[in-house]
Amino acid sequence: MSAEVLVFAEQQGGKITRPTWEAVAAGQKIAADTGGTVTVVVLGAGSSALAPELAAVESSGVLAVESPALSEYTPDGYALALAAVIRSRQPQYVVFSHTYQVRDFAPKLAAALGSGFISDCLGYRNDGGRLVFVRQVFQGKFSADVEFTGEPPYLASFQAGSFREDAVRRGAAAAPVSTVAAEVTPEQIRSKPGERFREAKQAVDLTQAEVIVAVGRGIKAPENIDLARKLADALGGEIGASRPICDGGWLPMDRQIGSSGQTVAPKLYVALGISGAIQHQVGMKGSRAVLAINKDREAPIFEVATYGVVGDLFEIVPPLIEEIQKAKAG
Amino acid sequence: MATATATPQTLIKGGSFLIEDRSPDEIFTPEDLTDQHRLIGQTGREFMEQEVLPHLDEMEAKKPGLLRELLRKAADVGLCGSDVPQKYGGLELDKISSIIISEEMARDGAWAATLGAQQGIGILPIAFFGTEAQKAKYVPKLASAEWVGAYCLSEATSASDALNAKTRAVLSPDGRHYVLNGTKHWITNGGIADVYVVFAKVDGEKFSAFIVERAFAGVSPGAEEHKMGIRGSSTTPVNLENAEVPVENVLGEVGKGHLIAFNILNMGRLKLGAGCIGGAKHLFAEAVKWAKEREAFGHPIADFGLIKEKLGEMVVRIYAAESMCYRTTGMIDGMLHGIDQSAPDAGRQILKALEQYAVECSILKVVGTEVLDFVTDETVQIYGGYGFSSDYPIERVYRDQRVNRIFEGTNEINRLLITDMLLKRSMKGELGLIPAAQRLRDEILGAPAFEEAGEDGLLADEARLVAGAKKIVLLVAGSAVQRYLQALADEQEIVAVLSNLCMDVYGMESALLRTLKKARSTSEDECATEIAATRAFVYEAADRMESEARRALGRISEGDNLRAELAVVRRFLRRNPPDTIELKRAAADRAIALNRYPLIEPR
Amino acid sequence: MKIVVCLKQVPARDSLLRLNSAGTWIQETDISFEVNEPDIYALEEALRLKESQGGEVVVCSLGPARAQQAIKEALAKGADRALHLDDPAFANLDSFGIARAMAKALDAEKPDLIVTGLQSDDFGAAQTGVILAELMGLPHSTIIMAIEVQGSAIKVKRELEAGFFQFIEMSLPALLTIQSGINKPRYATLKGIMAAKNKPLKKLGMADLGLSAADLAPRQKFTRVYVPEKRSKTEFFEGGGKDVAAKLVDKLKNEARVL
Repeated sequence: MSAEVLVFAEQQGGKITRPTWEAVAAGQKIAADTGGTVTVVVLGAGSSALAPELAAVESSGVLAVESPALSEYTPDGYALALAAVIRSRQPQYVVFSHTYQVRDFAPKLAAALGSGFISDCLGYRNDGGRLVFVRQVFQGKFSADVEFTGEPPYLASFQAGSFREDAVRRGAAAAPVSTVAAEVTPEQIRSKPGERFREAKQAVDLTQAEVIVAVGRGIKAPENIDLARKLADALGGEIGASRPICDGGWLPMDRQIGSSGQTVAPKLYVALGISGAIQHQVGMKGSRAVLAINKDREAPIFEVATYGVVGDLFEIVPPLIEEIQKAKAG
Repeated sequence: MATATATPQTLIKGGSFLIEDRSPDEIFTPEDLTDQHRLIGQTGREFMEQEVLPHLDEMEAKKPGLLRELLRKAADVGLCGSDVPQKYGGLELDKISSIIISEEMARDGAWAATLGAQQGIGILPIAFFGTEAQKAKYVPKLASAEWVGAYCLSEATSASDALNAKTRAVLSPDGRHYVLNGTKHWITNGGIADVYVVFAKVDGEKFSAFIVERAFAGVSPGAEEHKMGIRGSSTTPVNLENAEVPVENVLGEVGKGHLIAFNILNMGRLKLGAGCIGGAKHLFAEAVKWAKEREAFGHPIADFGLIKEKLGEMVVRIYAAESMCYRTTGMIDGMLHGIDQSAPDAGRQILKALEQYAVECSILKVVGTEVLDFVTDETVQIYGGYGFSSDYPIERVYRDQRVNRIFEGTNEINRLLITDMLLKRSMKGELGLIPAAQRLRDEILGAPAFEEAGEDGLLADEARLVAGAKKIVLLVAGSAVQRYLQALADEQEIVAVLSNLCMDVYGMESALLRTLKKARSTSEDECATEIAATRAFVYEAADRMESEARRALGRISEGDNLRAELAVVRRFLRRNPPDTIELKRAAADRAIALNRYPLIEPR
Repeated sequence: MKIVVCLKQVPARDSLLRLNSAGTWIQETDISFEVNEPDIYALEEALRLKESQGGEVVVCSLGPARAQQAIKEALAKGADRALHLDDPAFANLDSFGIARAMAKALDAEKPDLIVTGLQSDDFGAAQTGVILAELMGLPHSTIIMAIEVQGSAIKVKRELEAGFFQFIEMSLPALLTIQSGINKPRYATLKGIMAAKNKPLKKLGMADLGLSAADLAPRQKFTRVYVPEKRSKTEFFEGGGKDVAAKLVDKLKNEARVL
């Protein structure tokens, strides 16, 4: 019997979440590397309704685990149900996306199984049939190779974006779907989850923002800041500015980034019309990715930029907003 | 005492560093700090970062109520009562803890002055010299910062010569009040204080101290001074116009005010010196980071030799100053160990212990303030135009730190004091400088001693140089005293040379002993930067001492005598100079790698 | 209410970290250590609960002798006593091993609530707390932004992706992993620092916990630690608005991963 790679499909309110497809891509690749087969497992009350969508990807089967006790996500319910599935199927690998939900129950599941769980991986290498997982340590200062030591099943979760959704192989025909009853009862579930909700957006400390769109003198007039704001909204980010913009009162001082303002390190820093003098750079150099749009190819901002566009921001930003919205809708 | 110090130190006489040798184990070093000391430093750092540094602009703009609020927050943490007996709401911390606090508070000069006026010269005169009733009434409220305190010594025409005060106190006819008239100047916290310790002369003669409440009739602060720096602190005159002070508010004895005025300054000088060294370390980290960020000719300027030279020199000077500071404070703690702080005369005992190290406290005041001055100036230089711009923080530091060489006794006054105190103690027979100078003279006049067998081992050459350096002090001091006798005080330049020699000797030996102590508990490899800094300091100090000694002897002596003395100077400071450029580069490289002053762990 | 805070000592965030010569971990000499930041928030939350509910805060930390500095910091901030799990055999444990040792130590404590940071600044595995809950048979929740005690139960606010939250109720005893930013951590007062030295600190080794090496056998091992490849130089995009926009979106999605 060939080794099985079990892929956990996450659902949210009856919809498959996007990271699931990345987990599928990871699982397919691991199966290919280890000569195994892929099985996709989805949990929930009514999870079989989601099976057809999952069956479209290339796999040896989709397993829908049903129970009224799984109508809402709880770590107890998911860990118990999945542990039973794993015990009976004995897969070689169990693959997850490193989502908040997976963080919440997968370590518990691994402990219940006595298994190893390598979490938050960026990828893996195939060292002659032995998989070596790569993850960040010390907050990304170093990478580490990590290997499983005990007996399978081995659990691994991958950071968002480690595998590409468009790398998922579709099956020639729908994969077989089977539905099983979960071995979990409502009494075993010890926590009671409430509805998901969002809070009114509060004034955010820029140091905590994941995306920042910052404007400099190149924005030309205060009324143009709206354009930057739209881009920030599209990216789910915050707006920031270089010193001259705040000095001029176009944005409040608490938006200023640089040596006399805040020091930020977002995942993405978009510099619109910012030349990038050193006093600005010291406030944003720690950003993971920098997109700079500036007319002047010699602007120092390009020294620290990951992506650069030399041109007029008023021509580049509007289509960029459109494309971002399209990508998010898709 | 609720001491955080691990081991009491051997009792060592103040000033004895000139004539006695110490082993590394006898001195306290920053490497001996306990977990508690480190936690105190961490609290100090977090307090500054969370409560003070975000408000510097508001402080400079004199936002009403801000300083009081910050003092209250500081008091809640325990920072206002660190040196106060527990009985009166304080913490009775050891002095190592006190200087750690000073080091952290010094990240902003205005705040350091404000807090220093409260927890040091504001509270301590009352805590140390007050009657039980005075202590019970004032100290707890000052320790909790419910009341703000200030210390009023200087006047428009008397500062360094404080005993020349013009403010008068006259007993009222009914004998219940002293009536004070006069104006005290440059009073830190003057505008916000509730309680002033005021020095005045009873009947224009008897220099005395009084506890004066702002609420008393006839007491009013004047307008805020416009200052070059520490603008965030309150500095005003305090006007006393027929101010009625109850007789029970006389602090100490009438006519004995000088005991309070001068003894309290030892603690102030120690803490100011420590604060400056702490401030220098914080600023140094900024200089290093900037030098790594700022590029010129396609390289970070930290790559360039002239920038490394600055960074290396800063490390070397801070290291020596820090070594002196912790060594001195460790000695003070050794002396304070065992004093029952709840005893009625505990304050006097504490001040007596501090007085023992008055020479070292003055040395630290001068060395600490001059190290910070140097580090600030070079940091401005490394920042270039950005150092000159008011939009960047360095400009403020440059202005703020300038006052350090002026207050707590100008550095000139302290230089005079260092030599003066040493000589007075020798005259009284408390310190064996005179016999030691005599022995040295015999040694010189006698047959030339065989060169001491060269001992090997870590820093053995440097140790020989330190021993020689001590003899230089004795030589110059001996010649000066012989030549000028009582009139030496009029030869201020010579007196200052002697102080400079003492400071370098103390720095050389403190750095050397500290490095040897660390090397014993770790390995030479782990002390590579300490060894480099020690060597650079020792050899450059020897250069300075040789030059200073020649300058002084050129005035003191002449002819054959002068030639003979200069030969002796050369002999005692005979040395094979190392490559100090390389040593400083090594120190700079380590700092650049670590992004900070590299010779003490950050808190 | 008896609250246990599990905290870890990790290399200070601004430390200059270097790899050891074997490339298997960092060089631990010559760097400074601090309390793992999310654990500081967990400690603060525990202290606040104690202040509002009464009871006791017990600190539990596994690590070598240097970890005492982290423990003392917690005691100085107001924790009442501490358990220090220290044994040469505890070096190089994985999340499971750490949780196993802690479970042994904490079973006897019978806490009402265990809190810890959501992950550590060094490993960043985000597993120890959850595994500990499983081993101790406790309900748990992760990435918590608020705790409300309701008699013998709690209602917690859990952070979800994309700005969502949810409330979760569970009965005590329970375990929570705390998100950074849930509160404003206090700094130790000088009085607290002085008081800390008289607070009980119990050291526990393998034998005290009745553990054998097999109990702690790692399920995963680090074989190599290395510097990740440097970010590439600026990649320039030319051409018209729409064209460039599409290329940029691809980068933002698949490289910068912000979409």
